[in-house]
Amino acid sequence: MSDVRRAPAVPAWRKVTQHRLFWPVVALVVLIVACGIKNPTFLSVEIRDGHLFGQLIDIARFSATPLLLALGMALVIATGGIDLSVGAVMAISLAVSLTYLDGNPNADSAGTVVVAVLLGIVVALVAGAFNGFLVSVLGVQPFIATMILMVAGRGVAMLITQGQITTVTSAPFKYLGSGFVLGIPTPVVIAAVMFVAVAILVRRTALGMLLESIGINREASRLAGVQSRNITWFVYVLAGMLAGIAGIVYGAPTMAADANNIGLMKEMDAIMCVVLGGTALAGGKFYLGGTVVGALILSTIERAVVIFHIPSQITPLFKAVVIIAVCIAQSPRLREYLKPRRPQRPRSIVPAALAVKEAV
Amino acid sequence: MAPTTEPTGTPVVQMTGITIQFPGVKALDDVDFRLFPGEVHALMGENGAGKSTLIKALTGVYAIDAGEIRVADRTHRFSGPDEAQAAGISTVYQEVNLCANLSVAENVMLGHEPRTGPFISWRKMRAQAAEYLARLHLDIDPASLLSAHSIAVQQLCAIARSTVVEAKVLILDEPTSSLQKAEVDELFEVIRELRERGVAILFVSHFLEQVYEISDRMTILRNGRLVAEHRTADLPRRELISLMVGREGAELDAIEDGVQSAHRERPADVVPALAAVGLGRDGSVEAFDLDVYPGEIVGLAGLLGSGRTETVRLLCGADRPERGELRLAGETVKISDPLDALHKRIAFSSEDRKKEGIVGDLTVRENIALAMQTMRGVWKPLPRKELDEVVAKYMTALKISPADPGMLVKNLSGGNQQKVLLARWLATAPRILILDEPTRGIDIGAKADIQKLVTDLAADGMSVLFISSEFDEVLRVSQRIDILRDRRLVRTIANGPEVTQDTLLAAIAAKGEVA
Amino acid sequence: MSATLTAPQTPRSDDGRRRPTAGTARRTLARFLRPELLPIAGTLLTLVIMLVLGESRYGGERGFVSVKLFSNLLQDNAYLLVLAIGMTFVIITGGIDLSVGAVVALVGLVIATLLPAGVPLPLVLVISVLIGSTFGLLIGVLVQYFAIQPFIASLAAMFLARGLANVVSVQSLAITDEGFSSMASWSLKFGEGRDISKINLSMIIAVAVLALAFYLLHYTRFGRTVYGLGVGDDGNAVELMGLRAGRTRLWVYVISGTCAGIAGILFAFYTKSGYNLTGIGMELDAIAAVVIGGTILTGGAGYVLGTGVGVVVYGLIQVLIAREGLDSWWTKVFIGVVLLAFVILQRAIAARKKK
Repeated sequence: MSDVRRAPAVPAWRKVTQHRLFWPVVALVVLIVACGIKNPTFLSVEIRDGHLFGQLIDIARFSATPLLLALGMALVIATGGIDLSVGAVMAISLAVSLTYLDGNPNADSAGTVVVAVLLGIVVALVAGAFNGFLVSVLGVQPFIATMILMVAGRGVAMLITQGQITTVTSAPFKYLGSGFVLGIPTPVVIAAVMFVAVAILVRRTALGMLLESIGINREASRLAGVQSRNITWFVYVLAGMLAGIAGIVYGAPTMAADANNIGLMKEMDAIMCVVLGGTALAGGKFYLGGTVVGALILSTIERAVVIFHIPSQITPLFKAVVIIAVCIAQSPRLREYLKPRRPQRPRSIVPAALAVKEAV
Repeated sequence: MAPTTEPTGTPVVQMTGITIQFPGVKALDDVDFRLFPGEVHALMGENGAGKSTLIKALTGVYAIDAGEIRVADRTHRFSGPDEAQAAGISTVYQEVNLCANLSVAENVMLGHEPRTGPFISWRKMRAQAAEYLARLHLDIDPASLLSAHSIAVQQLCAIARSTVVEAKVLILDEPTSSLQKAEVDELFEVIRELRERGVAILFVSHFLEQVYEISDRMTILRNGRLVAEHRTADLPRRELISLMVGREGAELDAIEDGVQSAHRERPADVVPALAAVGLGRDGSVEAFDLDVYPGEIVGLAGLLGSGRTETVRLLCGADRPERGELRLAGETVKISDPLDALHKRIAFSSEDRKKEGIVGDLTVRENIALAMQTMRGVWKPLPRKELDEVVAKYMTALKISPADPGMLVKNLSGGNQQKVLLARWLATAPRILILDEPTRGIDIGAKADIQKLVTDLAADGMSVLFISSEFDEVLRVSQRIDILRDRRLVRTIANGPEVTQDTLLAAIAAKGEVA
Repeated sequence: MSATLTAPQTPRSDDGRRRPTAGTARRTLARFLRPELLPIAGTLLTLVIMLVLGESRYGGERGFVSVKLFSNLLQDNAYLLVLAIGMTFVIITGGIDLSVGAVVALVGLVIATLLPAGVPLPLVLVISVLIGSTFGLLIGVLVQYFAIQPFIASLAAMFLARGLANVVSVQSLAITDEGFSSMASWSLKFGEGRDISKINLSMIIAVAVLALAFYLLHYTRFGRTVYGLGVGDDGNAVELMGLRAGRTRLWVYVISGTCAGIAGILFAFYTKSGYNLTGIGMELDAIAAVVIGGTILTGGAGYVLGTGVGVVVYGLIQVLIAREGLDSWWTKVFIGVVLLAFVILQRAIAARKKK
């Protein structure tokens, strides 16, 4: 008879510490507390003119852009891919929106702004569809496919803005970046809405499970009937669209479409949020909730750098070190190296593939 | 012309007490093996017997946990393939392990490439390679890419490489599995010549015909242990097969005795649930006819490599047939991909549980739901309640343990993973269930559970194609048995009390006209 | 007893050399008509088209195609050539190095910072090259010993290099050191008047690196192992042939990093400044030059001399765009399009081969 095993009982505190969000949340709390001690006003939130103000609110506001990018990135990474073009897509969508407003006499009317925003998002969607086509239909490696757009995309953005830094004034558009909805900054609201929408999209349908399944075991998924081409394509489109929204939210406060600098290195931020949230870069399981924590950590770090009077140039370096550390920590090889080794174990220098065959 | 005397003199390879432990399993357990100069020695055994492991121990790919390897009277502890090669052991693998993107000359000579000063001398390299190739009667342009040549020629290039290092020992691991008859003959000619020159040749093949044609002696392994060493001429093939396949212990028989397929009469006007007519695919399996009726279990028996898996993969959209047609309940259909097969109510459980079955990092619940979900489409998730019911139903019915649907499937034992996969396919309510080695590598209890389940399903009207390397299992569950040999479906046997393992052995071992 | 698999043997003279026969002639011909040469044919075709285009539009009386054109191309793109050569090694093994542009930026800033600080020029140059090698080593270790995919490992290294560059300075720093300037401006001049063409240090270094790479890839066991790694089986075949797969893979990234270090110096020669935002997208330029040059993006086949042609094509695109009076950002779009075309061409060839 089959041995009926029971899952070993885990004490409650271990359940908490073993939760994959435990360390990211601890890091976030430590950061916030440290900032609070250094600068007590950091923790204060006040209401001015019915709007929330304070450094914590700023952190939430600055988390919006990386979160929007990271939501799409998390899904793309889950399928075993990557999207390096998000920064360039931000630039493109902002360029499209602002250029439309620039030439429009009714730039201040809400209707015009809606059209401008939709235009920007649609173009971003097309960019995502282009990536998805290259990856899922033509089978180009994701990093090459998206890198083409990462570089050429900035050229396209330049093309749209005629090489100028297009600046416009449009109150409704600015509102998207620096306004408030019910006292909460608009970018926070937009990011929250998109987060909920994406969460519903992937977790209330089978999309999330199927794209994890593709990222974990493509062949097993195929045999189980998963249509990986369509799903992969869809995910890149989604990532493109989210990057488009991110570009508009990011550029709205200044309303300057600087094709060279908008979204520069933002793919790094997005990837960092994703890995901090516990999603492995190699693909498979993804965690949207963790990605939110990742985005909050990211902007808290940026804030902490200011509070502690650390030269702000160090932040990218710090991000890079974190990404490398997490990559190494996620590497299955590391666990192998750390295990106590018996002498003369069968090695697997060569035939990873052969060894698998053997073990079957 | 094959020498029939017991080899005299000292063996060039002497392996004693070889043990190799993999996590959780002893791949080799105290195995002795010897190989004499000037002989062709066949290493025989079914899947998991330890043949590849033994070869990898000898070629330095795996380190041994216990035992001794002596080559030409020197004890060796290889720490890599390069050291084994330096000791005079060369290997030609099943899938030619050369670099297809390099030239023939490089594949033959690299590692011993002639130089002029610090430069590789391409002219000399080509000339030397051509000479080594010529010794094997191979006249091809050494500058051409290896990939431009047939597998047979590539194999000969690999052998040519072994002659460059003047290997004392040549290991041929499944060299003939992708070759045509004429190519096999040519390869054998080369093997015989090398034998004449005193090279010790270790030959592994699933083709019994070939083993009997070329080998002088054989060593038989089963479950990581040495079973016997025989002169080929002294061992009838039926005896060889029973040595390879072995018999399960009385313990299993006792448990499994309860499982016996019901034999029922089939009304004459019933149409097969699935019928293949002349279905085939080049390089995979020859055109075959196969049918299975509603409520019937058809076993597919044959040795490893006989084309069992290749056959069923053509039925379920995993591979596309190149010829022939497929009929479901009398209607001709085309199956474009696995999802299409699922919609047509055909479910296929692959033999490769890890690579083609489970999605390790997903939970048991998700793994069970996967195929059901793909049939519904991405946007229509299974309602949680329905999902929980289905999962609970199959977890109870199949006794999946631990009884925690939220557990990651990779943390389950092999038997329970297999049951999860069965649950996945059963949840799609298939009319035709194709099970490829559903009981391999799992414990006896789980095995009996699965056998019982399969017969129950058939009793409820499902059609089942059942592949297993274990003949007693095939005999126990099937009503009819298709026999495969050398990538060809050769016979169909109606099961009955008079049909025994020996019947199957005889059918498989029968001298066929096929190479 | 004897069996013959193909045609009867070519007659040989005693020293084992083939006599020229109809057979050998056919073989020689066949050697040039192999399908794997298709990408390189695409390369040459592109080159010819660009040259013809240039000649027909801007030829005029003085001609477009000239020694001076190539001299200028090489002068302007010496750094890219060196980068692309390193990238060729990596791509042939089936890997990728996305960090090179960031390393160029970092090296430029390090030079611009160390020289005014009084560090002797030779030492600065050595440090610059070693910075590149160190990044290459980091990627190699991540790839080889931690089994991290090359694009992830090199992406992380790219972030690291950019991060370090930011720490060094976020301003554009001019390099005013006399020794450095004189190295940068030293050149041999040929020709007269408007047809004057130059050979400068960057060109000499780039060509020397090219020659060395050609030697390594085509005339050493190491080089052939690099190709063998690209067969797409995780180095199994190479390892089973008794060659050193792991070490070779590590070295390939070190080579690419070192090339990035050298390219950083050449780029500093060219711009006489260091800036943390230089070299953004330069990795794509290098990849494009490699792929345009006929190296297969998925590894296993390629020619470092082809990479040289790829760089020339890249330079011509720039020249043509400048002559057309288009803004320089058109270059990015065009390079993207051309790279894409070549990637698709390669996919198509691979798909056909499979059938």
